[in-house]
Amino acid sequence: MQVFQRLVEGTLSGISRQEFEKLALPLLDPLYNFARWMSGDPDEARDLVQETFAKALKATNSFREGTNFRAWMFRILRNTFLTSRTGLERRHTEQESEQGFEDSVVTQETPELALIRRADTELVQQGIASLQHGFQEVLILADLEEMKYQEIAAVLDIPIGTVMSRLARARKQLRQFLVDALQGRPGDRKLGAKS
Amino acid sequence: MNCEWREKVALFADDELDATALQEAEAHLSGCAECTAAVADHMALKKAVRVAGNKYAAPPELHASIYRQLHPHARVSPWWKWGMSAVSLLLVMTLGVVLWTRGTPKDPMVAGLVDQHVIALSSANPVDILNSNMHVVKPWFQGKVPFTFNLPEIGGTKFTLIGGKLAYAQQAPGAELLYQVGQHKVSVFIFQATDSRDKSPVKVRSMSFNSTSWQQDGLRFYMLTDSHDEADPLVGKFREVNGN
Repeated sequence: MQVFQRLVEGTLSGISRQEFEKLALPLLDPLYNFARWMSGDPDEARDLVQETFAKALKATNSFREGTNFRAWMFRILRNTFLTSRTGLERRHTEQESEQGFEDSVVTQETPELALIRRADTELVQQGIASLQHGFQEVLILADLEEMKYQEIAAVLDIPIGTVMSRLARARKQLRQFLVDALQGRPGDRKLGAKS
Repeated sequence: MNCEWREKVALFADDELDATALQEAEAHLSGCAECTAAVADHMALKKAVRVAGNKYAAPPELHASIYRQLHPHARVSPWWKWGMSAVSLLLVMTLGVVLWTRGTPKDPMVAGLVDQHVIALSSANPVDILNSNMHVVKPWFQGKVPFTFNLPEIGGTKFTLIGGKLAYAQQAPGAELLYQVGQHKVSVFIFQATDSRDKSPVKVRSMSFNSTSWQQDGLRFYMLTDSHDEADPLVGKFREVNGN
């Protein structure tokens, strides 16, 4: 009870409650967006974000200065997701294809600049949604959240090399999706195992 | 595609090259059309993902729920609700008495806004849109007030945006933005200007509250707070982003 009171007052070591609020509140929308993409469900995304804040708030005393706060919050969110029902289901269904992540090589793509520029937002969203979960999350963290490879590796708890290979494959598949869609080959749109 | 630099195109686009490699890459790009096209392709895809990926915003009830989580003492229990209602009533009555005994302040608009500021301070739900992100709060007013305004960037300052609500004064709709600075709350009211007085900020003290009002770009601004001068920089920030 005493610890709880000190936590509420922000007097525990680590990060103060005021500092936490100042750093965490601006992340609410990005965290929700990420949770929504991962879970595919607004209610589950809301629960995930609430639980993330609750866990982070409880762990403020273990937060050490110099830790990347944003990566820390995203990591809590992702770990919360992975232990959720949807997360466990997804982990199970995608385990077979996980092998492919590691041995992928960065292939050279043909520039499709004109086609990408023709793609509208909705089509790109369809493309992101069609990606396998492991590709989708790395793409969002890199291109939307503009995280460095090292930050992404910390959030996802994977080596930097894996971040790079997943990112390369995610982009390759998304590019292919857009090219197929714009060249009228809708049959090729299904890219990953994501439902 | 035999160019050895092609493998580094993604690293370049993702800003992952160190200073030396970046310099070399830039020198190479100026003479290699293939790599330049590949970088443009990468950047276009990154941009498309950035725009399309930002698809979902946290709903207002989640903002409210997180706010309650962060401020457990502000949770509204029936007792608390009744208590706050009583306190609100007492505060409004006290203000009424003070106004009655001291006489009406020079600007009746300020007196009315002081009331609204006090009511917001004592309310369990001080704002209609509870969000610290100005890019969420500002659009919320679209279609609700017959004018538009800009909110200043306050990242890295001691100010925190709590949210906003609709305000009415002298039969005119306006916007109220609520900020926190230290232990103090600051209300910034914005209305359409009806005359051309006081273009420069004028600060007056009224009933223990400091009011700073000014006019710019057809809008009249009022900043109200019980802090002495801690909130003053906010005036400059609003003036900077709202034209001349």
